[in-house]
Amino acid sequence: MESLGFEETRDLLERYKIPLCPTKLAAYKNEAAAFAKSVGYPAVLKVFSRGVIHKTDLGLVKTDLKNEVDLKNTWDEIIKKTRGIKTEGILVQKQISGVETVIGMKRDAQFGPVIMFGLGGILVEIIKDVSFRIAPLERADAMTMMQEVRGYKLLKGFRSTKPVDIKKLASMIIALSRLSLENNEIAEIDLNPVIANEKGAWVVDPRFLKSP
Amino acid sequence: MKTTSAKLNRIFNPKTVAVIGAKPEEKSVGWGLIKNLLAGKSERKIFAVNPNYTEVLGVKCVSSINFIQDDIDLAIIAVPAKIVPNVIKECCEKKVGGIIVISSGFGESGKTGRILEKEIVKLTEAADIPLIGPNCLGIIRPANHLNATFAPAMPKNGEIAFLSQSGALIDSVIDENLKENYGFSALISYGNEAGVTLADFLKWAANDEQTKVIALYLEGVKDGREIINVFKEVSAKKPIIVVKAGRTKAGREAVASHTGSLAGDYRVYQALFGQTGVIETDTIRELFGLAKALSWQPKCKNGIGIITNGGSCGVLLADYCQALGVKLTPLSKKTLDKLAVPGVMHPAYSKRNPLDVVGDALSDKYKAAADTLLEQPDIHGLIVVQTLQIMTDPEKNAKIIIEAKNRFKEKPIVAAFLGGAVTEPGAKLLEENHIPNYSDLKGAASAMNALIKKNSLKP
Repeated sequence: MESLGFEETRDLLERYKIPLCPTKLAAYKNEAAAFAKSVGYPAVLKVFSRGVIHKTDLGLVKTDLKNEVDLKNTWDEIIKKTRGIKTEGILVQKQISGVETVIGMKRDAQFGPVIMFGLGGILVEIIKDVSFRIAPLERADAMTMMQEVRGYKLLKGFRSTKPVDIKKLASMIIALSRLSLENNEIAEIDLNPVIANEKGAWVVDPRFLKSP
Repeated sequence: MKTTSAKLNRIFNPKTVAVIGAKPEEKSVGWGLIKNLLAGKSERKIFAVNPNYTEVLGVKCVSSINFIQDDIDLAIIAVPAKIVPNVIKECCEKKVGGIIVISSGFGESGKTGRILEKEIVKLTEAADIPLIGPNCLGIIRPANHLNATFAPAMPKNGEIAFLSQSGALIDSVIDENLKENYGFSALISYGNEAGVTLADFLKWAANDEQTKVIALYLEGVKDGREIINVFKEVSAKKPIIVVKAGRTKAGREAVASHTGSLAGDYRVYQALFGQTGVIETDTIRELFGLAKALSWQPKCKNGIGIITNGGSCGVLLADYCQALGVKLTPLSKKTLDKLAVPGVMHPAYSKRNPLDVVGDALSDKYKAAADTLLEQPDIHGLIVVQTLQIMTDPEKNAKIIIEAKNRFKEKPIVAAFLGGAVTEPGAKLLEENHIPNYSDLKGAASAMNALIKKNSLKP
């Protein structure tokens, strides 16, 4: 299955008011550094490629870049690793801290779009702490979907952490349900992670797969 | 084609039935159909159609349905697939009320079968005649003494509508049912759903006055988007319980996303059941275990009491209840005061919920416990556990529970009389009075959980 390019991805997210964390697709090192400076450090660099799902495994994601020197050195490192891989460029992002969640969609041949919510990150397939609903979803569905995952307590605030913006997450789940119903050409979606904290929730890694 | 419930009502209570493909050879399908139908001959006329015979089980055989003078409410077809279209043409000319095609060799068996299936759908749609099947066992309506199947026997009459994608399973369900106390409003083998679909049958069952609960054996659905709406609509009226087969089917091609790899077929079905209010069970036995509770007992608000004469069983049952989300109501001061009156309880009774009336409890202790707990307003239902000691009297205890039930009609009671041969008369007495009994604690907890879920259905 082919995935959407970065600009198409960003457009779709914007159209459905699904916030993407401050992100720029950079072609040059200086361009990346200027963007990171404008949104503030720490920053993240990651390769945007239509073909690679598990970017972290290949060392194509570098987080916690604290300053310009750090960012520029890392840029060079990543460029070396991308030899032989077809990429659209390198994304530079503002690093957001919070709880890593995942919101996804799979178009089922029988039931249409099936929306997934869970605790996200690279371990999602191992931990499998996820819940599903068939679109369309209402706010109450989105809320119960979140309550169904075992890690719900993490969203409600755990020990010293503040509760995350659950309402924002619910809006994003509903928006993804609507997007999925209105865009039949999209077969699968991974928004993983969507990072949520007390101020809001942002998609960090979006991936839209087109129907073959 | 949407099949209206009125048309299905005619099929479920036919005054005239014709079996096309009736046969005198014992153990053949055509023979089995006539034999089963004859059991209801006082309620309807039965006709046999087969050009090769003159008589089947005493029923005169004609060579075509068109030679029958009477109007036919229901035609049942059990002939080889390739001649089914011709037989259907005749049935359409005859303007029968409905058709069941028992024969297999249609959509389920390759390209030729799919073409045949399309053909018979086209014919019946043009004639506006409901088509059940093909590739099914048929239908049973015990209340009308209608057994339009080649199942081994007629099941008991009752309030459970059982809809099954598998015909063979129905046969064994009937056999098991004969030694049980619950009964059926209808058993429906819906086969390939070429004409009348699962959705149509669900809507019929929702409106059927006799049906109180719908039990469903499901492998897959034909129209997913439609079934979402029908499940929602029907489960708001009557509880639907389901066993889903094919839960572990890998069924995934290339995995291109995390969501894709996690959203296996079964997870999607779980989501479907969850959001449409359908209650899922693991086993066929549990399906009917819950079905009898839902058909016999009223719904329950969450918050119940447990009475037991074995402390261990109380603990175990409390564990099962907690795992399911069934809440135990703390005993109020008023309740505790009543129980504390000397002589009411054994000195070693538990003084809390689960209420352990202690192993040597005689029936008077059960009576005091049941009455006192049911009088507490926020105890909405009761599970009564009985283990068997030499002084335990299962029948007397059963009578006490039945009396308590009669006094507190709106509060459901579920029993777990644990044991076998000695316990049986008590267990039987309970069920004859529509108090479901379970030979294991988990079954009782699941039943109460289902009654609580029933409470959350929209009225």
